[in-house]
Amino acid sequence: MFWDRWTDFPDYIIGITKEIWEDRGIATLHEYYAPDIVMRTPMGLTRGNQGVIAGTMATIDEFPDRRLLAEDVIWSEHATGHLSSHRLITSATHTRPGVFGPATGRRFTIRVIADCAAKDGAIFDEWLVRDYGGIARQLGFDPREVAARLLREGGPAPFTPDQDVDGGYHGRGNDNDWGLQYEDLLTRIMGADFRAIHTGYDRAVIGEYPGGVQGIGREQAVEFWLGLRSSFPDATFRIHHRIGMDGGMLSPRAAVRWSLDGTHSGWGSFGRPSGAKVHVMGISHAEFGPWGLRREYALIDEIAIWKQILNHTGES
Amino acid sequence: MASRFANLPDYIQGVTWEIWEGRQISSLHRAYGKDMVARSTIGVMTGNEDVIRDTLASLAAFPDRQIYGDDVIWSGSEEEGYLSSHRSMIIGTHTGHGVFGPPTGRRVAARCIADCYVQDDVITDEWLCYDMAAMVQQLGHSPEAWARASIAREGGTEQARRPFAPDIDLPGPYQGRGNDHPLGHRLAEILTRIMAKDVAVIGESYDRAVHVWHPGDVTGWGIPFAEAQWMALRTCFPDAEFRIDHQIGRADAGEPDRAAIRWSLTGHHTGFGAYGAPTGVPVHVMGFTHAEFGPWGLRREFTLWDPVSIWKQILLARPDHAYGAL
Repeated sequence: MFWDRWTDFPDYIIGITKEIWEDRGIATLHEYYAPDIVMRTPMGLTRGNQGVIAGTMATIDEFPDRRLLAEDVIWSEHATGHLSSHRLITSATHTRPGVFGPATGRRFTIRVIADCAAKDGAIFDEWLVRDYGGIARQLGFDPREVAARLLREGGPAPFTPDQDVDGGYHGRGNDNDWGLQYEDLLTRIMGADFRAIHTGYDRAVIGEYPGGVQGIGREQAVEFWLGLRSSFPDATFRIHHRIGMDGGMLSPRAAVRWSLDGTHSGWGSFGRPSGAKVHVMGISHAEFGPWGLRREYALIDEIAIWKQILNHTGES
Repeated sequence: MASRFANLPDYIQGVTWEIWEGRQISSLHRAYGKDMVARSTIGVMTGNEDVIRDTLASLAAFPDRQIYGDDVIWSGSEEEGYLSSHRSMIIGTHTGHGVFGPPTGRRVAARCIADCYVQDDVITDEWLCYDMAAMVQQLGHSPEAWARASIAREGGTEQARRPFAPDIDLPGPYQGRGNDHPLGHRLAEILTRIMAKDVAVIGESYDRAVHVWHPGDVTGWGIPFAEAQWMALRTCFPDAEFRIDHQIGRADAGEPDRAAIRWSLTGHHTGFGAYGAPTGVPVHVMGFTHAEFGPWGLRREFTLWDPVSIWKQILLARPDHAYGAL
């Protein structure tokens, strides 16, 4: 039944994403998503398909022309399910009022990476990072101000590990060399050994970073990672999931989901140190070539981070 | 490769670094042939002395210039020589005097594709395109204004340097047409169909999420974007003859499936578009396309041609022409 409809696992992931969003089959979520799905984004945790359906409708209502283009699906297998790390480039026009306030008529193009665990044709466990900072900037807002407004309006608390529940997926990815290599690079970078970028990244590396920022060359990769690490210097860095893949027409590549837990105690990408306790959920993809890591797509949600900082300082 | 480099891509990346960042401009006496022919969209140069002067002038204007080599797509062998299609990003700060006038302090980042013929570690034939439109835009000019100003600075329509066109081409040693790999044929067929106005080929053969880079810092994602870009070029020269001049396909371990094509349009400016109302002026477009293929179709496309040189060809023949003229 499954294989009648889909040629392979990536085809399934890409196919259902289009059906749900662009083809407006929101009701297909009853089939494609498990009733008790656990969905984590940096902005909060949603339990159950009803919440996912409601959130999907709200987004389509605010951004009716939104397109979601699948750039890559990096995946692995485990006894508890397949894990797809699905990178999308998505653009839309803000034509109706919603989370971002009254319609601005502006367009945005940003990336999303969704880590979805699937079994028997249904997604039951999910981690998703959307470049909310990129959306905010392209709609003409400052991410910090958007975070302050969201705090004033109430709503769910940003995701922190204490809220987490077991959704049933227990895999950690695979042991392919390219995943190990990217894990090693990120671990060294987060250990403040930024030389890892100078030795492990191609000097022509093209990096795509939060806020819709594109960087060319190693210096701009250092700028992103150092700005982040410097904001949370005492935070514990953890790798939660790691996939490597090679062959099949594409560059050798890797997908890593990671987090930082600690205090906002340093100057960096988030301004004056506030002492706020912060959880950062990150997902990044990399492609490797003959001269090192040549494409990097790293996502965190700046607005979810600002919400945690402003909630601590009471500045909202 | 003789000696110092492991393979052709390492050789190209290595000598490029030595010449530019390594400041060994004089190494061009060895690395480039004494009688080489260096064609760019801007014109034709012969002999490495000209290339050395040109390199020095570029470095004097952008002393911190770095060349980030993104890919080398190549064909040939040690015996017959190699053709290297080298895609790079050139990044520098305009802190010196030169063809771009007095220093502006601006940072310029532009893509470049250089097709070089390498015989026994010496480059003897070359075809090159900088994203001049991106460079002049980042320095604060439009391609049209820049082409007009450069004609004036070079002594007017009689004396100004002529952009590359087949009638000023010079024969060089390289006679190859690339290789016969299916990926090269695949890209050649796509480009040929686009240029035959069969634009539907993009919807059939591109990945829905294709990332496209075109001249003038133009970048975007998706099939409608790719279609619009190619139609915008073709409609300016609807009756020009399209030719595939060189074609390489490669499926290397550890690399994406990819292809490199050098192509041209030769005809007249007979359509409304980015160059204003049709002038009927003869125009030659030297174009380069690099593409990467994946399981869902063509997923990355890097194409360069030079809108500044197109403007220059039109303005040399019709100095009174302007985009906005009624």
